[in-house]
Amino acid sequence: MGAILSISTTTVGEAIRRRVLLVILMIGVLLISIVPALSVLSARSDLTTTISSMLFVLRIVSVLIAIVLTVYMIPNEIERRTIYTILSKPVQRWQFLVGKYLGAVLALGLMIGLMAGVMLILFYFFKHPPMERMLDLLRQAILYFIEVSLLAAVAIFFSTFVTPLVNFFLSAGVWGVGSLLNPLYDSFANNQGSAPIIRGMAKFVTSILPNFSNYDVKNPIINPGVTIQNETTYYLGTAGYGLLYITILIIAGILIFDRREV
Amino acid sequence: MASEPPQGGVLPLGAAIETRQLTKTYKSRALGKINVVDHLDLQVEEGEIFGFLGPNGAGKTTTIKMLLGIIYPSAGEGYVLGREIGDMDVHRVISYLPERPYYYEHMTGMEILKFYGALFGINDKDKFQRLLEKVNLAGDATKTISQYSKGMQQRIGLAQSLLNDPKLLFLDEPTGGLDPIAHTEIRDLILQFRDEGRTVFISSHELSEVERICDRVAIINKGKIERQGRLEDLLRGGRIEVIADGLNQGFADTVRAPESTVSFHNGRLIVDMSEEGDVNGLLDGIRDAKGQIISVVPRRRRLEDLFIETISEKKSGGEAA
Repeated sequence: MGAILSISTTTVGEAIRRRVLLVILMIGVLLISIVPALSVLSARSDLTTTISSMLFVLRIVSVLIAIVLTVYMIPNEIERRTIYTILSKPVQRWQFLVGKYLGAVLALGLMIGLMAGVMLILFYFFKHPPMERMLDLLRQAILYFIEVSLLAAVAIFFSTFVTPLVNFFLSAGVWGVGSLLNPLYDSFANNQGSAPIIRGMAKFVTSILPNFSNYDVKNPIINPGVTIQNETTYYLGTAGYGLLYITILIIAGILIFDRREV
Repeated sequence: MASEPPQGGVLPLGAAIETRQLTKTYKSRALGKINVVDHLDLQVEEGEIFGFLGPNGAGKTTTIKMLLGIIYPSAGEGYVLGREIGDMDVHRVISYLPERPYYYEHMTGMEILKFYGALFGINDKDKFQRLLEKVNLAGDATKTISQYSKGMQQRIGLAQSLLNDPKLLFLDEPTGGLDPIAHTEIRDLILQFRDEGRTVFISSHELSEVERICDRVAIINKGKIERQGRLEDLLRGGRIEVIADGLNQGFADTVRAPESTVSFHNGRLIVDMSEEGDVNGLLDGIRDAKGQIISVVPRRRRLEDLFIETISEKKSGGEAA
């Protein structure tokens, strides 16, 4: 456990010093900061536009940070040969991989925490929303954190056998398709009018890929008419779903990484 | 559970490393299967400094990586400190300094030791301080790695490699790219390791350094061991050059022998002969022929000579084949 903890804390230290990540983070914070000012230009409800825009920025920036952070994580260690020094110590490959993943998740937590903190503070001071809305936003930020933790697991899994560039597009693609799984399922897999082969393929894709759209509950937040039935069950179920996928992906990554030449 | 020593043969007493027919094969689309390490039989005894030499691409680093369990052999067997390679128990008592190591640049020297120490479950600040003193970095403990010179980075690398009091150290090009002062410092540290009873396995191109500090060497080329043995045995057979003046062609003809090179011009005779040849007889003959001895220079065989000779033999053998 000491080795995993040590690797993960070092990974956090490295991640929060990566200039490209800091630039993306700063852009995210800047965009979130100017949203309350820009929302007055919108014809829609001021509050709705502000929430919607802030959450959109938070989600997209978090996803971008997660992909950029994780696709280079393992290849960099191999290229710089730090992995050799680490694996020559009593450290198993699985411990290395898990340590790197946990480090990435911690770093993502810090970065999302910063953006979410700025978002909540600005939202509170500019819009004076009811406390319930603030809690809704906080819950959404936590769901985004679980979403990017799952995305980081996808990228770490791919990084055990593809190059960073391919990984970037693969991970972004999985997230993109995974974010559209619900409409994809409704349009093709669940549509009796679709051709059987299309229905079959859609069913296969929707069963294999993680469903990232589960983590976006913006609609109930911006439209008070839309509600989540049994919120506690939904949030716990979604978190459990993410954890299950993360476990499967990390185990699969370990199995591949264990046999890989480094 | 730790694996047992090899069956069908007892691991030689005092062997820190032994490989039997250790092979690493890579597949290439252009070249097909390539044996980067080819049926390697290597033996390193405990408490010695062993030099592992070879030209670029000879298979040195691949061998080290296999011995460390970082990559997997395609065939053959390897044992480190009596256990099969890759055994985690062995990793507790060995250490590795890679070629041109990279350390997380945001960390200080002390933090580097804390990080690598944590991988062994070691969190002993006094020990970290002692190690920093040992490698002359006590005054730079709070500087970040990005502020360290190459030599300092190499020394912090050596400090991290001593965290677990290793019985066996693998050093890959430990003096590569360092200035002469840093060379001397690293060399002194390596000699100190031997005095402390540690086994040191050095892969290097710096033949003069290896010659100064190693007890035994192996020369690897194209994945195969070409020479292996004690340095004094491998370098035996030095030459002696005798130069004399005032002699005639007839005398020069009498000293020609198959193991000597003789040149004669304008009364000056130059003989290059084996140190095991009859040097005194030659000198007496020159005096008897009223010649004047200008110089008698023994030329010790150097590791560089042996290395070039070994690699050239292989090249000419390969070309002939």
